[in-house]
Amino acid sequence: MEKGHPQRGISVYSYEVLLGKTMTLEDVFLEMYDTGATCFELLTSYIDNYPNPSPAWVDKYWRLCEKYQLQPAELGHWAENHLHRGPAASDEEMVALLKRDFELAHLLGFKSLRTKITCVNDLCDPEPGWQSYIEKALPYAEKYDVRMQNEVHGPTTLHTPHIRDEYLEFIHRTGTKHFGFNIDFGTFQTKPAKGMEWMPMGFGDVTKPEEIVEFLPYSWTCHTKFTNMDENFDETTIPYRDVIRLMIDNGWSGNLVSEYEGPVRFTAERSYENFGFAMQEIPEQVRRHQIMMRNLLGY
Amino acid sequence: MVEFQSIQQRGFHNTYAPDGSINGFEFRFVPIYYKGYWFTQCRFGNVTVDGEVFDRDSLIFEYDGLEYSREELFDLNKYWQFREPLIIKVRKEGGLSIGYHEVALQFGWVMNYNGGPELEFDGSGLGNTIFPKDHSRRMLLCR
Repeated sequence: MEKGHPQRGISVYSYEVLLGKTMTLEDVFLEMYDTGATCFELLTSYIDNYPNPSPAWVDKYWRLCEKYQLQPAELGHWAENHLHRGPAASDEEMVALLKRDFELAHLLGFKSLRTKITCVNDLCDPEPGWQSYIEKALPYAEKYDVRMQNEVHGPTTLHTPHIRDEYLEFIHRTGTKHFGFNIDFGTFQTKPAKGMEWMPMGFGDVTKPEEIVEFLPYSWTCHTKFTNMDENFDETTIPYRDVIRLMIDNGWSGNLVSEYEGPVRFTAERSYENFGFAMQEIPEQVRRHQIMMRNLLGY
Repeated sequence: MVEFQSIQQRGFHNTYAPDGSINGFEFRFVPIYYKGYWFTQCRFGNVTVDGEVFDRDSLIFEYDGLEYSREELFDLNKYWQFREPLIIKVRKEGGLSIGYHEVALQFGWVMNYNGGPELEFDGSGLGNTIFPKDHSRRMLLCR
């Protein structure tokens, strides 16, 4: 099999604590450019006047992409069906909001989406009935050339029953090429990272690296999650080397977007000292992670 | 750009009636969260200043130049833009005294993932988010 060539990217989410406070969107693009990343994930919330950005903002966005040589990789959006009091949204209402986001993703150049379907517990078991509106939205996903991806995010693993019984079953039954998985690397994490020991996360049942192979055909963008990078540009709680080797060896050429989700996001707003620390720590953590990714990928 | 705290000092001042008398005060609020919200998801609680409680249903919320009651926000099909301050107006004859005040606001929201959806809204909750709902800040009022 021909080896894969994943793109090295960054999620703008990594900088969310600072965005709009000490960093503009252009500051984030410059910061990403500095790392040598070539693609990025945006969230719908970071689009000015979402869901109706002005033509001027869209022009500015494309100018940023061109100036900082960054390709749109994934747009993070939400399929929320409990936005109003009372009964959940109807299929028609859900399809309308999905179609709106597909059009927007298409306008902004995104081929993949991280689609958050309503869950009913911490394991992210989807609320029953999701297949109905997602299936009705598939023709629009085809039209706008976007791929919805369910995020497999710890504590969910690739062997959590709903992954196979619901999502994979849906993909096989419909034969769609427009629904799949964003496999967040946190699902492979085996122990708490420095500064995150207090989080009530169990690491007894996690995804094993080799489990990813079966899911690669249904994955276009993955979150290379991290919560602490050391000064040697190493992440010691997630088997990065093994997972990325499996992806490359199995011909995967999607986007890997660094997603920093470290402890500073819980404490940054508590004091001037904490926020000042976050201003330094967040960009530096992402830079360290990008150096590790460059070392692993070779580019 | 906004201040890093959720309750903004910038915009904290007394409000004036057309006759020049002080009829209350206002401040701005920016959620500490990584995304924006639909207003229909938002759940506001009371404002408390130096221990004095102002009921949530007496508050006036101003967004994008228009004023809303808490009840009206439940049906406001509008997106609260990321890092866009919401102005909270509080009616209080004479307003607040010049000087320092401890200003607090309760705010929560209905989260559609990583937890059970809010199946039945009873009119009293602050949503199902796991994030802190109590916000407060000591701020200096000048006018």
